[in-house]
Amino acid sequence: MIKDTSIEIRWHGRGGQGAVTSAELIALAAIHEGKFAQAFPSFGPERRGAPVLAFNRIDAENPIRIRSGVTKPDIVVVLDPGLVTLINVTDGLKPGGCLVVNSTRTVEDLQQEFSGDWKLAVVDAASIARELLGVNIVNTTMVGALLKASEAVKFDSLKAPLGERFGARAGANFEACMRAYNSTAISQITTTGTKKPKSFAVEKMPGWRELLVGCMVTEPGNTKRFGTGDWKSQHPVWDDKKCIKCGICSLVCPEGCIKPNNEGYYRANLFYCKGCGMCAHECWTQAIKMVEGT
Amino acid sequence: MTSKRIGIESSLAVSEAVKLANVDVIAAYPITPQTHIVESLAEMVANGKLDAEYIPVESEHSAMSACLGSCAVGARTFTATASQGLILMHEVLLVAASLRLPIVMAVANRALSGPLNIWGDHSDAMITRDAGWIQIFIENGQQAFDQVLCAFRIAEHPDVLLPTIINIDGFHVSHVIEPVYILDQKSVDEFLPPYKHPRPLDPDDPITMGCFAAPNLYTEARRALDASVRASKTVILDTWKKYGDLTGRYYNPVEKYKADGAETILVTMGSYSENAMIAIDDLQDQGKKIGLVRLRLWRPFPYEEIQEALSSAKNVIVLDRAISLGGPAPVCSEIRAALYTLDKKPQVASVVGGLGGRDISPDNFKTLIDVAMGKLKAGETQEIIMFGVRE
Ligand code: SF4
Ligand code: SF4
Repeated sequence: MIKDTSIEIRWHGRGGQGAVTSAELIALAAIHEGKFAQAFPSFGPERRGAPVLAFNRIDAENPIRIRSGVTKPDIVVVLDPGLVTLINVTDGLKPGGCLVVNSTRTVEDLQQEFSGDWKLAVVDAASIARELLGVNIVNTTMVGALLKASEAVKFDSLKAPLGERFGARAGANFEACMRAYNSTAISQITTTGTKKPKSFAVEKMPGWRELLVGCMVTEPGNTKRFGTGDWKSQHPVWDDKKCIKCGICSLVCPEGCIKPNNEGYYRANLFYCKGCGMCAHECWTQAIKMVEGT
Repeated sequence: MTSKRIGIESSLAVSEAVKLANVDVIAAYPITPQTHIVESLAEMVANGKLDAEYIPVESEHSAMSACLGSCAVGARTFTATASQGLILMHEVLLVAASLRLPIVMAVANRALSGPLNIWGDHSDAMITRDAGWIQIFIENGQQAFDQVLCAFRIAEHPDVLLPTIINIDGFHVSHVIEPVYILDQKSVDEFLPPYKHPRPLDPDDPITMGCFAAPNLYTEARRALDASVRASKTVILDTWKKYGDLTGRYYNPVEKYKADGAETILVTMGSYSENAMIAIDDLQDQGKKIGLVRLRLWRPFPYEEIQEALSSAKNVIVLDRAISLGGPAPVCSEIRAALYTLDKKPQVASVVGGLGGRDISPDNFKTLIDVAMGKLKAGETQEIIMFGVRE
């Protein structure tokens, strides 16, 4: 359990999953307790499904002046299980800190992925959210898991901001918090872990002299390499028996990634499918189901 | 080189230069006092005297957008506007610079609303200062003709590739008929090589222009653009030298008039400089040690040349024909900044005048200098002098 007068938290989620809401709830609860706190998103174009960050700072004694993103967090919370292998979520995580992950895997299994001097907390937030809230939106559930790992704010302080934010659904969200708090499993990670540290791609950016006139891009069609499939947490699955081959799904797909196969049934190219679910929503015959996972 | 001396309205002299430059595309929307420039060009195209595409558009925003497209495919492109038209273009103006598209534009300088005013001053040029366009000021019809031709060569030079504005004072220059030497086509063709964009938009060889830059690239993109605007001075100097060798009319970023050894120097920009010259002549005849310096190149700002021209003076009086509400007058503020690093700095008085078409006659200039000298002697140089304002 992390006890400190000042705590920095970094939230990893995907656009639309509510990481920003999680951070806001924590900050509002801390402010309610008379502490100083801030919450803010990584500023950028909002794209549903794309990896996003949100940040918290809480200080029991002093006003917070820094407005930069959190690079040396005490706690990292990961709302989407897929992100753990996609980006370096533990980047800068302080020794003695904690990584809180939403995953269906057990803590014993997941800890094989890491080495370091911090704790790993794991909760199956998706199951809790689906059961208690009826949707796979884990922002409030993960707040409960966070509070198991840290006394960042008191549980009761969440009631007012939850009520304001969720109205009639505040009770269910509070319950999801509690359930997550009680079912979060924590384990100490060691620096002598068996797994080698993963290497994550670091983009090399050009110096100003290397830019072409007017920043033109002379390689046509390079967005083909841009795998928007990284953004998804769900993917479409077709039931061909129900399909009437109308092609509507391929027309509404914002990525244009649905094409008919040789038999005339439709399939998504998962390299581009970002899991938005529009195809399933628009299909006349409900031949498409969105299924968890990438 | 042969040239013909004719009597012509300055606006039409601009159109003659555009025709001689053999532009491919003109996209424009008429606005006072620029109207005569684009009307005459439209007529030339309609009568078959100029083989170009004239795109009549529904607004200045569209005019500049059409110019972006035509310049990006490698077509020599011209437009003209003024005042409200220029600020309606603003969104696209900045894009033209950042895409490094060498559009040439004549601006018949006019006051900005409000109150609504159709007469001349430099508000429109000043509010466009930071757009990344090269900006040149002229004083009469001949200079307008000359600088439009030079502008194409400067803008389209492979080391520059930047859009360029020629500032032509509304009415005081644009609507005045005066003698102008018009160059022959052969000389213009020799002076002005064809426009070649290094990678024009081409469906057979596609590229992307105008892409997005996140925080990890925007700074580098802006640094590169700033460096290109600063570096354009080399080509500007070279172009003006070549044009001088061709026509005998030499231009410089900062031009002195009887300023050598002067104790006090008046700094002006644009057509009122000629009125100021008459005042300087009279004052020197009376034994006053006062000279004139005219600023021709507004962007890139010629810091070294300004330092050289003003460093030995005791007093400098800067006339701005625009007001920066609540701040320093724009030209004066640049000049003060240029002088700041000198060991021995002249005192600088800032005068704002000639707003919204108000005349500053040669006699007015003498009064203006008197008022400014009074303030300089009293050491009161903090406040801007609003010349001729009724209390
Ligand atoms: S919208 Fe549904 S029914 Fe139509 S082609 Fe797609 S899957 Fe088949
Ligand atoms: S979920 Fe369906 S509509 Fe959305 S990107 Fe994937 S295939 Fe396209």
